[in-house]
Amino acid sequence: MNDTPEYAHPSPRSRPRLLTVAAACTLVLLATACARGEEPAGGGDGGGDTEGQAQVLDEAAAGDQTCAIDQYGGQGYDLSDVKVGFSQSEAESNPFRITETESIKAEAQERGVELITSNAQSDFSRQITDVQDLISQGAEVLIIAPLNSDGWKPVLDETRERGIPIITVDRAINGTACEDFVTFIGSDFAEQGRRAADKTIEALDGEGEVAILLGTAGNNVTTQRTEGFKERIGAEAPGIEIVFEQSGDFTREGGQSVTEQLVQSDPGIDAIYAQNDEMGIGAVTALEGAGKGPGDVAIVTVDGTRGAVEYIIDGWIHAVIESNPRFGPLAFEAAEAFGSGEEVGTNLIITDREYDASNAEAEVGDAY
Amino acid sequence: MVRAVSGVRPRVDRATLLAWTRDYGVYVGVAVIVLFNIVFTPNFLSLENFRVQAVQVAPVLIVALGMALVIATGGIDLSVGAVMALSASAIALYLGYGPVVAVLVALVAGAAAGAVNGLLVAFAGIQAIIATLALMIGGRGLALVLVPRLQGIRNEDLRALGSGSFLAVPYVVWIAAVLVAVVVFLVRRTVFGRGLVAIGGNRRAAELSGLPVRRTLLLVYVLCGVLAAVAGVLTTARLQASDPNSVGVLIELSAITAVVVGGTPLTGGRVRIAGTIAGAVLMQLLVATLIKHDLPPSWTQMAQAAVIIGAVYLARDRRRT
Repeated sequence: MNDTPEYAHPSPRSRPRLLTVAAACTLVLLATACARGEEPAGGGDGGGDTEGQAQVLDEAAAGDQTCAIDQYGGQGYDLSDVKVGFSQSEAESNPFRITETESIKAEAQERGVELITSNAQSDFSRQITDVQDLISQGAEVLIIAPLNSDGWKPVLDETRERGIPIITVDRAINGTACEDFVTFIGSDFAEQGRRAADKTIEALDGEGEVAILLGTAGNNVTTQRTEGFKERIGAEAPGIEIVFEQSGDFTREGGQSVTEQLVQSDPGIDAIYAQNDEMGIGAVTALEGAGKGPGDVAIVTVDGTRGAVEYIIDGWIHAVIESNPRFGPLAFEAAEAFGSGEEVGTNLIITDREYDASNAEAEVGDAY
Repeated sequence: MVRAVSGVRPRVDRATLLAWTRDYGVYVGVAVIVLFNIVFTPNFLSLENFRVQAVQVAPVLIVALGMALVIATGGIDLSVGAVMALSASAIALYLGYGPVVAVLVALVAGAAAGAVNGLLVAFAGIQAIIATLALMIGGRGLALVLVPRLQGIRNEDLRALGSGSFLAVPYVVWIAAVLVAVVVFLVRRTVFGRGLVAIGGNRRAAELSGLPVRRTLLLVYVLCGVLAAVAGVLTTARLQASDPNSVGVLIELSAITAVVVGGTPLTGGRVRIAGTIAGAVLMQLLVATLIKHDLPPSWTQMAQAAVIIGAVYLARDRRRT
């Protein structure tokens, strides 16, 4: 009597289970079987000349401090004999991370170095255990793209004890250079902000209203790209007023919905500074939807992805400041030099290029 | 005696007031925020503004419709954001066959995801929060395996779906309006609609009175999955890109908030579609107001939290007898 109306079915237990499996399989099948996406747009995926893409060090921005292996502790090594561990911070779903990981892998392959990799999927505690795993798998040199700058003590204690050199790329680890880590290789985010400000001032002739699409809150990239921008605007263009500062969370959708709101309530906005390309492209979509044309609002973004550079050619984006993710060559070069006993600079700042109407068409092949 | 009487009377009044606020407070909230904006926000009273707000609220509203039905049965669906991601990835994968096929595949994917939830909840007897949590994690994972990085959509028809209008009203808003009508019809005029509320009210009683409880539950989750897939299609069309990594992130919370703020109790047994719409609009206007006045995003989160606590406080007296 305590049975439900399905009592009459011959095997009331196995049938639903079977159905669940069937439904789950449909999901997977649907998604994979006979899929056919859109044809790729014309132009092809030509990689451009690799020379134009390579990172170049900015000698002036780098500090004087250097680090050699006898200061750091540990023993010299020949890079081709050791295992290198690479810990990536975020999922390889955006162009920056994809290109960064590819660059590290390609360089390892080219040099014939054994590389083991991990990805923390934006989970900081996972990145700590990732790095510890890399060490236990025998990594003798570590290349780390840190998710956060703080909180690395558990790893640093272990690497210091074993004399494992750490090279951090794109974001820094807070600690003492040549004691906690060997070197940091990356862009100067504040400088990117200042250069974005220069481009904005140029586009507006020093007069007008600017909105900032911020990145994720509490992220040092967001903070520094904002500080650099405001500093330069304040110093050089008192006629420019920053009227909006809202977060688009570094996503295209965020950039789109925030821009829709602000363009609606302030149609006279003259420029938008998007702290990454994705939000900038979202802003383009929003402006298009609001009936604006290319060039009505000057958009300046940071990153240098192909999608954004193509929008310069179309006239929608005024300028893109590059943040070059191709860390492979410089990171391995530093690791090799360090292992052979040479002195390595502890703060290696790369020169980022910029794209605008004058060079976008010619150099779009260099964009990632 | 006297004391007891005088103690009871105001309590009854307070209860009536609470019940009224619970049922109609959301409309008062919308009215207050609209009035505030009319006075303090430049260009608020413009067609363009209503277009922006309506277009932005549409996906959340569509997801919230499905969520309202699921919550009315006493369940919950945490997987709606993941289903949107699946639907977005299906669009990117199948657009080569044309937009109609791609949209159909996306909807079928939504139905299949809903079926997994429904079967786990209705037949395997797994708690809704656990069953749908599994798909919330696994679904987005699958979507990311299928389409690991954002893919631009160039198909003109699909882009028009996201940005075009008919009689000066965006397609996106038309679709949301039609879906509202369909769900209202289901709830008010069909046996299925009565049944799902009855299940939420008292599942045992519904079973004993011969309602097809399991079939109804299955159908409710399938419907919720399809509605989430529609939201995924519209978001993709509007963004002109399929982005499984960020589409629909945290939308389950916005949808649940809209439903609860709109006066549908989380315990089920009751469903308020008009309230759900007002709830979604209230949250949208809250975000819009804070952006337009350039207040920090943390304020938005705190304001939303305040509204949710208020709504849940008002709903706390609801005891089923």
